[in-house]
Amino acid sequence: MSTYISDSPTHFEFTSRHRTILMVGIALGVICLGMTWMVDDDFHSRFWSNLLHNSVFFTGIALMAGFFLCVCIMAWAGWHTVFKRVWEAMSMNLLVGLIFMTIIALVTYMHGNHLYHWADVAGYTAENDQVLIGKSGFLNKNVYLGFTVVFVGLWLFFMSRIRNLSIAEDSDGDASFSHHHKMRWYAALFLPLVGFSSAAMIWQWIMSIDAHWYSTMFAWYTGASWFVSMMCFTVLSLIYLKGKGYYPEVTDEHIHDIGKFIFAFSIFWTYLWFSQYMLIWYANVGEETIYFRERMDKYPILFYGNLIVNFLLPFFVLMRNDTKRKFGSLGFVAGVVFVGHWIDFFLMIKPGVAINTHHALGHGAHGDGHGDAHGHGAEHAGDHGHGVADAAGHGVEHASEFILGTSFPGFLELGTMIGFLSLFIFVFFTVLSKARLVPTNDPYLEESLHHHV
Amino acid sequence: MSSPISVIREPLVRGHKTYHQITEDLISPTEKTPGKGWIIGFILSVSILAFGIFCILWTIWHGIGTWDLNRTIGWGWDITNFVWWIGIGHAGTLISAILLLFRQKWRTGVNRAAEAMTIFAVMCAGLFPLIHMGRIWMAMFIFPYPNTRGPLWPNFNSPLLWDVFAISTYFTVSLLFWYTGLVPDFATVRDRASGFRKKIYNFLSFGWTGSAKHWQRWEALSLVLAGIATPLVLSVHTIVSFDFATSVIPGWHTTIFPPYFVAGAIFSGFAMVLTLMIVTRKILNLQEYITIAHIESMNKVIVVTGTIVGVAYLTELFIAWYSGYVYEQFAFFNRAFGPYWWSYFGMMFCNVLSPQIFWSRKMRRNITVTFWISILINVGMWFERFVIIATTLARDYLPSSWSLYSPTWVEIGIFIGTMGLFSTLYLIFCRVAPVVAVAEVKSILKTAGDQYTGPDAIYHGHNHGHGGGVHGIIEGTDYHAMHGHGGHGGHGDHGGHGGHQEHTDHRAHETHSHAATATAKETGAQVAGASTAAAASQKMDYNIPDYGGLKDDLTKIEGIGPKTERALNSVGINSFAALSEMEVDVIQDILDKADGNFLSSPESWPEQAQLAAEGRWSELQVLQDKLNGGKY
Repeated sequence: MSTYISDSPTHFEFTSRHRTILMVGIALGVICLGMTWMVDDDFHSRFWSNLLHNSVFFTGIALMAGFFLCVCIMAWAGWHTVFKRVWEAMSMNLLVGLIFMTIIALVTYMHGNHLYHWADVAGYTAENDQVLIGKSGFLNKNVYLGFTVVFVGLWLFFMSRIRNLSIAEDSDGDASFSHHHKMRWYAALFLPLVGFSSAAMIWQWIMSIDAHWYSTMFAWYTGASWFVSMMCFTVLSLIYLKGKGYYPEVTDEHIHDIGKFIFAFSIFWTYLWFSQYMLIWYANVGEETIYFRERMDKYPILFYGNLIVNFLLPFFVLMRNDTKRKFGSLGFVAGVVFVGHWIDFFLMIKPGVAINTHHALGHGAHGDGHGDAHGHGAEHAGDHGHGVADAAGHGVEHASEFILGTSFPGFLELGTMIGFLSLFIFVFFTVLSKARLVPTNDPYLEESLHHHV
Repeated sequence: MSSPISVIREPLVRGHKTYHQITEDLISPTEKTPGKGWIIGFILSVSILAFGIFCILWTIWHGIGTWDLNRTIGWGWDITNFVWWIGIGHAGTLISAILLLFRQKWRTGVNRAAEAMTIFAVMCAGLFPLIHMGRIWMAMFIFPYPNTRGPLWPNFNSPLLWDVFAISTYFTVSLLFWYTGLVPDFATVRDRASGFRKKIYNFLSFGWTGSAKHWQRWEALSLVLAGIATPLVLSVHTIVSFDFATSVIPGWHTTIFPPYFVAGAIFSGFAMVLTLMIVTRKILNLQEYITIAHIESMNKVIVVTGTIVGVAYLTELFIAWYSGYVYEQFAFFNRAFGPYWWSYFGMMFCNVLSPQIFWSRKMRRNITVTFWISILINVGMWFERFVIIATTLARDYLPSSWSLYSPTWVEIGIFIGTMGLFSTLYLIFCRVAPVVAVAEVKSILKTAGDQYTGPDAIYHGHNHGHGGGVHGIIEGTDYHAMHGHGGHGGHGDHGGHGGHQEHTDHRAHETHSHAATATAKETGAQVAGASTAAAASQKMDYNIPDYGGLKDDLTKIEGIGPKTERALNSVGINSFAALSEMEVDVIQDILDKADGNFLSSPESWPEQAQLAAEGRWSELQVLQDKLNGGKY
């Protein structure tokens, strides 16, 4: 095997300037988290929900990078090979995800937060809640911690194996492509593993915040949101790297294809959003509609903005051929949609946490009348959050209240997100700089170099 | 020519086909008298269809009471069959639209037949809601048109009405897609036909001449239709799933239904494509066009979609428990342990477990195993719909109205009748149209033919060099090392082709623009210089057979003029015999590289040269009368 030789730099250089900027970003995140802790309520629910929000979002992006790389391996794809190191490097952020999710799981285990109603022991408890007793086989601190560590650990293990094989192929790839064939094995096992385990983790991490609510679509919907965010990050990083003189091999053709994926999967995400929403709206079962009622009434800007930013914008901008090939338009859409999906996760997590915290904090005042959180929620839905003074007095008060950081992302949320993003990029750059940018002995390299739509 | 092809890709067209052979192999089944097998099959299909029609008429005459539906179980085999057939109708458009967008070359081997199946399956499916109405003559009530029934309109809130629109749109677009693909192929059939047959195919092919403009419009239309059809593939089964999921019936009202139905539909569609293609390729001898590689790819789709369906089954099951909703929990308990438990376990076994066998490459490439698994999946997907519909309805909220259902002979007869309809239409289709898309297979020949790629390749290095010339225009990148490397030559039978070609390529890259032209000019210049070394190296490149000093007048071949003759002579083709042994695309390549424009197509030259070399001049005359400027 001979090696592909390029005039451009073969390795990404992680400069001290990069490091400084990213360290500032990470420091900003730490400061914001610290400040959040200070200004927070007794349970530090804003702090914990911000931590959960960003951990879940960025872990998912790392997972999807690995997942899609494996899909490409299994589908004999040849177009992406030149920049597959980008996905490999992104997926190594699963290590960060493992650390943060384990921290959250451990603190939940020790009842150090009130993110999850089902894990609560203080005052407002799951013990007298028939529905939660029924779910306790799955919604309990042992399963939460165990699944988190085992599954995220497994994801990390598989992606590390694949990345090691990929790097080994650079130096001693042979004509029989033995590395590639081994990668296929890992990729083939990884796909069903992610298929099953990602659903379990999404139910645990996110869906169980609204512990009474359930939707069979939820895992796939969340997965699609991760996927689009991952594609947006990919294209933004490629635009940046190309701007710095790396990756001359990545052409408009590759960028165009990523643009198509952002376009197509934005529509797919919308399809799942619509299917979930429409079926729940149509059947009009109170236990299910409460989820959307809560969000439409109290988070109208985010709720409708979510659809505008994540569907209308990419749909109309990226429908054209040229906007998917120009860095300006594609980069703009990718940036906005990336934040859009971060907002989508905000909308999945914050309302439920707000309700849980509200109940946990206000339990004493409420007495027994609110043992069943559902009844409470349904009342909310019925009167749109106004009126019925006594029965849901506390809830009404809560509903009309605008709390920055809960009702809408504030500067602290933004700063925390920048911190997590900086950490993500830090790990991404570190890993990226450790190996050649272009995998020289990949059997599909030539196809990818000459990729032409 | 297109981009370089990775050496680890498997060829998709076997047998070193030339364009002419592809035409021969794929068109000829439409020209022969049907064989005994076809006639027996056709008689059988039509008889079954006739029985089906009898059962439908029986239903219409006597009423829906001839079925075993009752007040509790209002949907039985009819809607089960409807959803089953609609599902089968998903593979065709998926293959032609989504796989087109994903640039999957293997689609070309199976897309034509799969699209035909889609159309026939949707026709079978459409029958069931119509006859389920009981009074079929009232069928126009489903259409929203100004009427004399006062304020009576179809219920736009009902997913059943959305179905009418979704399915009719899908049917229309699938039909257009299928027919668009058929137009150039019908023209090929026409050009080989005579008499009345020619007139029919002339009419069917819309006066297609194969001009560049026609092809350009054809490709644009295919892409537009693919764009429209892709959301349609998702929408049809999504809306069928809404028929169930918008209700508040436990086991039906679940949000995962839309994507899960779509995945299941693709799954069952591919199973049916496999069932039929395995039979078709054997009977029509299409093993070189529908290769093991095609079957393996389809089996991968089967294992992926089967596993997605498995994730969905388990998600439903798990969330039923998780919901804490006793009716939902009972619905699933009833599916597994109720009176129809066998259909639930049949479904799990056939759809989730049996496809897992395709994790083994050996099994994926085993025709017999694939065939039987595809049958199992067809059965399993029928069970799935039966589980969802009958099992759920049989145990409703009120135990006093619980009921059971088993189909009457009329219902069974109608179902079997639709299979008769399906196979009758498919058998007719096999006779009148090429089962494999001729033009589309030709379009992938140079990138997926086994003479160009894979272990039997003979032109690989050459093809690659040229491909690099066209596409490798990336600023500031040195491809020299890449081109020099023996890995392309991993098919090293081209060791000899050596320096000249690579050198040309490299120079072409350096110019960074119009690389292909530069390559051509350069080659042309060297050829014109008549340097012995260059000629020798060219000879080696093209594997030109040596007939010593034999020299014929090549202009006797229709399509070859003095200029073309000089170009051929310059690379060493001097005799009819030598020309007859050349592959058409190699000749084309020589012409492309030579100086000047050559408008004629060499597709018929080897055949003409063969006749000339053997001195069969009268036959050559007959052939040339049929040819049009050397084209078939």
